[in-house]
Amino acid sequence: MPSMAIQLQRYLPERDSTPHWQAFNVEYDDSTSVLDALEQIKAEQDSSLSYRWSCRMAICGSCGVMVNGVPKLGCKTFLRDYPKGLQLAPLGNFPVEKDLIVDMSRFLEHLTAIKPYLIAEAAPQGQPHRQTPAQLARYKQFSNCINCGLCYAACPQFGLKPDFLGPAAIALAHRYNLDSRDSGKAERMAQLNSDNGVWGCTFVGYCSTVCPKGVDPAAAVNQGKIASTLDGVIQWFKPAKASRNKEQR
Amino acid sequence: MPMLNKNASQTTPHRSDEPIWWSLFSAGGVCVAMLVPAITLLVLLGIPLGLVSAEQLSYQRLHALVFHPLGLGVVLGAMVLPLFHAMHRIHHGLHDLKLAHGRLAKWLCYGSAVLLSLLVLGLWFSGLG
Repeated sequence: MPSMAIQLQRYLPERDSTPHWQAFNVEYDDSTSVLDALEQIKAEQDSSLSYRWSCRMAICGSCGVMVNGVPKLGCKTFLRDYPKGLQLAPLGNFPVEKDLIVDMSRFLEHLTAIKPYLIAEAAPQGQPHRQTPAQLARYKQFSNCINCGLCYAACPQFGLKPDFLGPAAIALAHRYNLDSRDSGKAERMAQLNSDNGVWGCTFVGYCSTVCPKGVDPAAAVNQGKIASTLDGVIQWFKPAKASRNKEQR
Repeated sequence: MPMLNKNASQTTPHRSDEPIWWSLFSAGGVCVAMLVPAITLLVLLGIPLGLVSAEQLSYQRLHALVFHPLGLGVVLGAMVLPLFHAMHRIHHGLHDLKLAHGRLAKWLCYGSAVLLSLLVLGLWFSGLG
């Protein structure tokens, strides 16, 4: 079996003052993923290594790491594609807690703020919410998000300004705003309308490049800019109603 | 994992004034994208290939076009909106390069676009007669 040199960024807060690189050698074949390599290192070489993982099939979104500087899911990235070796580091733009584990609470706060769930009247007893294929097609691609945070590690604006709601949260807000069953758009627009909402994005587009599920958050954010502009114009012409972005701070 | 800030979802942030600047930026971008290739085609290919007579782009003809009452469209499309487009890019570029962000940079960027636009419009109105 061939082996590969892997550089790992280590950080043990009770021992290290700053992160440092440590080299490991792992055996691999065509089916060895980055996550497999981490498991091999932890099982056979250094049991103190910490990383997050769960499903091993690109659906839980836990195992995001920087692979040679690019945000990737460990389970969906294979050593065979990196013949020159690997450098693994924790996801960028997030505070590092330990080794490859980052503190994602800022992202989760943003996600909570935009209410990423269906806000709708319950369907009549025993009846499903009906939706045509055309209504489904409007939001379907944005619903594939698995909250892995790779787009936040890719987003330079989130790096510069962590208050920016960021790609996944805005893509999910957009996903529910576009859903014909949903009536929560007014509650979400207040967040999207702010400087830290859709307007924090300068359309770099790297979020859509790194998304492991083929979601296009950059499109969601920029469609959101049009929605937010229309929302602003409509509020202008409806001065009688309380403006949704004025009252409290 | 640290406790989440539960208040984060309950505060209502201020509405951004960015839609105004972004709309001007977008409009300017569309104008630039339409005009620049057209002008390039006319001047760099049309004239040398003899498809367009240089006389048709003479000072007198262009002057008459711009200072026609409908020439306001030319002034807006070729100068005013592209000014806002450019200053919007510079404003966000300054933030991206960590050179400047905040009120002063914003006032300087959009302020200069407004001043230069007023100058252009003033010259246009004074040249109308």
